Amino acid sequence: MIERVLVLAENRYARLVLVGLMVLSLQTTVFNDMRPFGVCLQVMVLLAASAGLARGSDVGAIAGFIIGLLYDLVLTTPMGLCAAVFAIVGYLAGVGQSLVYEPTWWTRMLLGSLASAIGMILLPIASTVTGATGILNVHVLFVALVVGVFNAVLSVPAERLCRWALTEPAAIR
Amino acid sequence: MDLRGSSVINFTRSAFGVVFRPIESATKVVTRPLGNAWNGMTHYNDVVKENHRLNDLVAFSEGSTISAIASVREAQELLSLNGLPTLAGIASCTAQVVGQSPSNFTQTVEINRGSECGLKVGMPVLNAAGMIGKITDVYNKRSVVMLLTDPGYSLAVKVVNIPAPTTTTTAAPGTPVEDTTTTTSTTTTTTLPRVTTTTGIPGFVPGVTIATSSTLAPLPGESTVPIGDVGPNQPGKSTSSEITVPPGLDVPLRETGALEGRGISRTPIVRFVENQPRFGAVRIGSPIISAGGATSLAPPDIVIGSVSRVVNRTGTLGPILEVTLAANLKNLNFVRILLYQPTSEKVVAP
Repeated sequence: MIERVLVLAENRYARLVLVGLMVLSLQTTVFNDMRPFGVCLQVMVLLAASAGLARGSDVGAIAGFIIGLLYDLVLTTPMGLCAAVFAIVGYLAGVGQSLVYEPTWWTRMLLGSLASAIGMILLPIASTVTGATGILNVHVLFVALVVGVFNAVLSVPAERLCRWALTEPAAIR
Repeated sequence: MDLRGSSVINFTRSAFGVVFRPIESATKVVTRPLGNAWNGMTHYNDVVKENHRLNDLVAFSEGSTISAIASVREAQELLSLNGLPTLAGIASCTAQVVGQSPSNFTQTVEINRGSECGLKVGMPVLNAAGMIGKITDVYNKRSVVMLLTDPGYSLAVKVVNIPAPTTTTTAAPGTPVEDTTTTTSTTTTTTLPRVTTTTGIPGFVPGVTIATSSTLAPLPGESTVPIGDVGPNQPGKSTSSEITVPPGLDVPLRETGALEGRGISRTPIVRFVENQPRFGAVRIGSPIISAGGATSLAPPDIVIGSVSRVVNRTGTLGPILEVTLAANLKNLNFVRILLYQPTSEKVVAP
C-alpha cells in the first residue's frame, strides 16, 4: 500500500498537481489583487505554456489539461473549458519550442509570452462557443497583450519550475 | 464539459473548495505584504483622491440622509397600508465579500455565506448604495455573486423619467429693458413637476381636479337627448357630466426595459425601452430601479443607478441607455442578500 502511494507520489503529474495548487493559490490571492491596467495576471496559463516549453508538446498538452482542470475548479466557467484551452496552449508552446534551433532564455521568454497571449484569446472564444455572450470584443486583445508581457517576465522561473516538476522519476533517482 | 446542475461536478467543486481553501488562506497571509506593497506603489495617489472625494461626499450625504430615511419610512408605511409589498418585508442575510474571480472575462465575487444562511441561486445582492448582482452558485458556506457588469447578467428594470426643467427668464427689477443697451437679466432654472395643461377642451379648467363640462347646444335638426342617455365617449355630445382629473398626474412617468452587463470596462445598458411620445425623451440622471414582477429574480424598487448617456436609434427602436451604477463594484465589502424568490418559483405548500 505504502509502495503504491510512494509510486503515485513519484509520478511527475502528481508533482505537477501539487505545484499547480501552489500556483493556483498565488493566482487567487496576490495575482488577483495585482491588476496592472485593470487586467488580472494569469499565471496558470503561464504554467501550462511553461510545461510545454520544458517537456515538449505531448507532455505540455497533458500538463496543460491538468492545470486547466485545477483552474476550472475555482472558476464559474463550464468545467473543462480552461482544461481544453490550456491543453492547446501547452501543446502550442511545445511545438513552438521544437521549431526553434538552439533555444535560448529569450526565445523561451518570447514563446511563453506568445502562448499565454494565444490562451487569453482562445479562452473567450471557447466561452462564446459554450454559450457565453458579450465577452468576445476588442478588450480581449488588450488583456492578451498585458498578460503576454507580464508572463514573459515570469516565464523563465516558471519554465524551470515545470522542468523540475515534470522530471521522470528515474531521472530523480 | 460541464453539464449545468450536475451533482458530480458540483460535489467536485465543493470538495476542491474545502481542500483548497486552507492553502489559499495560508498563501493570502504570506503574500499580503507583497500585495500591500504593490497597491501602495500603484494606487497611493488614487487613494488620496478618493479620500478627498469621499470626505466631500460624506458631508453632502449627511444632510440628505435624515430626510431620505423619513421619506422611505413614510413610503413603506403607505405601501404596507395599501397591502403592497415592500423591501422591508423581505428577510435578508448579511455577508462579506471574501474574494473576486481571477478571470478577466467574468465579473463575479465570492461571499462567505451559503446554503446554511438560506441562500439560493438567483437571489438579489445589494450593498448600501444599491443592487450589485445576483447569486449564481451556492455552496455550504460560500456563494458566488455575478455582478451587474457581467456580460451574462440581465434584469428587468424601470426607468423613471425625471420632469423636464423649466427655464423662466425674468428681468431684474428697475432695469430699463428697451431704452438702454446694457440690459441685465436674471435667469433662474426651476424644476417644476410635470403638469398637464390641456386647452381647448370645453369645460376643462387646468389646475382644477373636478371640472364640469358645459352642455352643448344641439345642432339644427338634432333632438335634445335627456341627461344620462348618451355615452361619455361621444366627442362634443356629452351632457353635463363631471370629468375627474386624477390627482397624481405630476408623478414621474416610468418605462420598463432590460438591464444588461457588458463587461468590467464598460457600463451596463438598458435595452427595449419603448420609444413612446407619452414617456418623452429620457433625461440623463433619470433613476433606474428594478421592475419586479412574478418572474423577475429581484423585487421591485431596488435602486440600481442612473442614466449616464442616451443613445437614440432611428425608427421605432427605442433608445439605449447607458447606466452609471449606484454601487461601486470595485470596492465591495459587506453585502446584503435578499432572501427573495419570485412568486413563479415559490414552492406552494401542500
